[in-house]
This record gives sequence, structure tokens and C-alpha cells, in this order.
Amino acid sequence: MNLTNRDYVAYIRKISQRFEGCGEYITALDAATGDGDHWTNINSGFLKLVEMSEELETLSVSDMFKKIGMTLMSVMGGSSGVLYGSAYLEAAKVTKGTDTITLPILKNILEAMLAAIMKRGNVQPGQKTMVDALCPAVEAFSAAIDRNLPEAEIIENMRKAAIKGAESTKDIPAVRGRAFYQANKGVGHLDPGAVTMSYQLDTLGEYILSAL
Amino acid sequence: MKKIINNPNDVVEEMLEGLSLANPNVIHIKGKGVISRKEKSGKVGIVSGGGSGHEPAHAGYVGRGMLDAAVSGNVFSSPDPERIIEGINQADSGKGVLLVIKNYSGDLMNFTMAKDIAEMDDILVDYVVVKDDVAVEDSTYSTGRRGIAGTVFVHKISGAKAESGAELTEVKRVAEKTIENVRSMGMAMSSCTIPAIGKPGFVLADDEIEIGMGIHGEPGVARTKILTSKEIAKNLLDRIVEDFERTTTIRNEEVAVMINGLGSSPLMELYILNRDVQECLTEMGIKVYKSFVGNYMTSLEMAGCSVTLLKLDNELKDLLDAPSDAPGFLVK
Repeated sequence: MNLTNRDYVAYIRKISQRFEGCGEYITALDAATGDGDHWTNINSGFLKLVEMSEELETLSVSDMFKKIGMTLMSVMGGSSGVLYGSAYLEAAKVTKGTDTITLPILKNILEAMLAAIMKRGNVQPGQKTMVDALCPAVEAFSAAIDRNLPEAEIIENMRKAAIKGAESTKDIPAVRGRAFYQANKGVGHLDPGAVTMSYQLDTLGEYILSAL
Repeated sequence: MKKIINNPNDVVEEMLEGLSLANPNVIHIKGKGVISRKEKSGKVGIVSGGGSGHEPAHAGYVGRGMLDAAVSGNVFSSPDPERIIEGINQADSGKGVLLVIKNYSGDLMNFTMAKDIAEMDDILVDYVVVKDDVAVEDSTYSTGRRGIAGTVFVHKISGAKAESGAELTEVKRVAEKTIENVRSMGMAMSSCTIPAIGKPGFVLADDEIEIGMGIHGEPGVARTKILTSKEIAKNLLDRIVEDFERTTTIRNEEVAVMINGLGSSPLMELYILNRDVQECLTEMGIKVYKSFVGNYMTSLEMAGCSVTLLKLDNELKDLLDAPSDAPGFLVK
């Protein structure tokens, strides 16, 4: 696997299309436990990235991530904006000087993103947030690389773990964000931030598999 | 959805433009959601902000004796770090800036990230976190208590202290003291609609109210049938007083009272509630030093109220009485 900027931007287009099509579902999830604005925010963030796609393709990998981070931070706003902003800015740091994204580099990127989100959000796995999709995905990815599994299998494991992780948020009581204020802490409802995170990892994996 | 707007996506910037046209002492930094004083204070700067939809919070509290700059995010959504940094830059006169943050996950993350970035540019920044809503249990594990109308007293008192020429550490000290001594509790009677969403965030039946609901419609502690003003006063005050008494004294003390409307409760009702709150306080042996009745921390067009008590000592009284020319909290 060897992804270029052009590939990453192609992935951004795909995930933006996916977000465009799931507005009602995500907004309904968010209305149950949150402010109801998560989809509007994340969708407008990725639409903005698509608008900038030509510019993103001309940058280095690191500068592209930096630009994505700054853009998501300001366009998305709210909690998700600063979390995705922190994640991509950290990804920019670990990709300084790299021209393409190999599997080990992708592992570094995802680990850096996870660490950044946990630090900025002061959040641990098991607290009904996007971390519950990202953390198991990163773990599955690392474990599969360590076992020298074939590339396609590494990616598949990552996708599955992300989706399963997002589903696990249904039974978790919230300690952060608005769901925390509910009497039952949002138990019985999926965390919309975990769902949209799992969509991104799933679509990224799907794109990589198609490009392998 | 019936609202006086042009486009749901433009409400924040258009509101701030209108606000700055109505107040010759402030400027609107276009595209950044920032309202700041036209002239730098030369003193410690006070910056607050948060999601829009709580007007006059926070832009209406910019003025001499109160905030130096207010940063607005989208409706009910924290402003991003870039906007907050703009607010910090506007407020900074070289003596440091105090951020007054309401305790929500999004605000905390965005304001502290802005602080981290501003410090790289050698601006001295510190912050306080307001958590006055006794409807939520305080906790170090979770986000804990929300910041609601009591935040306005923190703006007033830290702003007055900064205006006196005090250093950042001193301004922070009185802000922390205010936070320790302020408690609020709210009650909602109807929902509100975020313009970009177009539908109400929750539904309350015609004869239903929710005690302890947050200023973004976060769930409260109990839904009940509509109560009388006297019952509402007692219900809210009982919880506030009980919370004070867990850690400090409140009976025989002097307090400032704020009767805050959430947006569409008429002043008539707020005054009736004020009458009943004051009667209740007298019965409880709590002395009222000063009362504020009006819309201070709203929730779009939500109907309902919150009651805030700030326990006062001489220092807080003096700072509360100091002049302010912020249109949302004028003190001559």
C-alpha cells in the first residue's frame, strides 16, 4: 500500500458523499442524546474539504493534514471541530517529511490521532465518545501489523473493529458531552460521534482495499 | 419555524453586525464572531463566549467594567480556537487575559486549545470555569456542573476588578471567589428551535414543565405539571439553598439575586417570580442586597427562567456595584 495525497483527497470525497447521504439518521441519533447539530457540523466540514480538494492535492502529506485540521476546526466548530482539528494537526506532526502513506505510516497517523483526541477531550475508552470507535480500530490495526497479516486483512480488521466499537457505545453510559446530563446517561442510544468516526475508518478502509 | 432571519447559516454574523450597529462602543470583527471594545483597556483583558442563542450573553456584556471581548460560536455550539484567539488578541493590552468559560465539554476544549496557542505567541492567558447549575451533580470524573446565568456575575465582578487595574492573578482570584459563591437552578416551559435545524429540540406538553433543564435544552431533574410562581420559587430555591449548605452557610448572609428569563417568558412573569423568590428568601432568613430581573442568559425562544443567588461579602459587593457600560448589564 502506498497512498498519495491524491488518494487521501479521493477518500475525503467518498466520505463526504457518505455523510451527505446519512443526515437524517445521524441527526436523529444526536437528537436523542446530544444537541442535534453533529451531522450539520461534520457534513459542512467535509464539504469544505471537498471544495478545497484541488489545493489539498498540491500540498505535502504533512501540510495537507495541517490544512485539513485547521479547516475542520474552524468550519465544524463545537466539540467535534476541535477534536478533529487536534487529531489532524497531530497527524501532520508525525508525517513531516513523508511523501506517501504506507501501512506503517498509516498506523502512526491513527495512533497520533487517537492520542490527540484523548488528550484534548480528556477522555478514555468506554466513555461513549468517538474514541470508542477509533481506539479498537487502532488496536486491531496494530495487532494485525504485528502478526504480519496480509494488507487486505489488516485493513478489514480495522474496519470491523471500528464498526463494532461504534455499536458498543449503545450500552455505555456517557460521562462527557450532553448525553451525560440525561438520567440514564444515554444508555440505549448510539453515540453519533462514534458512528461518524466509524464511517470514516470504514470508508478509508474501503478506499484502500479498492486501491491495493 | 417562524423566525426573523434571512438565512439560518447567517444568523450569528448578522446578529453581531446588528449588535455592533446598536452599540457605538464596540466593534465587530467580521467573520470571526468577535465583538470587542473599540478602545483597548490598557488593563487585564476579560474574554468570554460560547455558543450563540443566549443573548445578551455574551456580546451584550462587552463594555467598560465588564468584558473586553466576547466570542460567538454557532447557535449552541462552541466557537473554534481561531475565533477565540482573535478575541484574546483584541482583549490583550499586554497585561494578560482571563478567559471566563462556562463548563461544557466543547467550550472547555476550544478555549483551552486557544489558550495553548495564544501562549505560544507570548500572551499571558489564564482561565476560570463557571459551574453554577445545581441541577447537575458536580464531579471530577465527568464534565460535571453546567455554567448558566451565574456566569454573568463572574463577568461583572472580574470585569470590575480588571477595570481597577488589578493584576491577572488578582482578577482570577475574585472570579474564582464568585464562582465558589454562586448557584443557579432553571426551569423550562417550552422548547426552542436552532435555526439551522428548523425543528424544536424537545417537546413539552402544554401543561408540563421541566425543572433543572439546561440552557441548551439538556434534560433536567424532573418533569411535572405546571406549578404556580410561588411553588416554582420554592422548588428552585430549596435546591439552591440545600446545595449552598452542603459546603457553606447561606442563612443570615447577604445575596445578589438574578431572576433570568430564558427568552420568551414575559417580564411580567419574571417580576411575579421575583416577588415570590424574595418572599421565600425572607422566610429562609436570607438577606437580599440587590436584585436583577430580566433576560441575561437566554435559550433562544425557550419559555422559562432560572434563579441565581450570589453570596456576597464586602469585596464582592463593591465590585458588583462598580460602574459598567455594557448594554446587557448597565450599572451607573
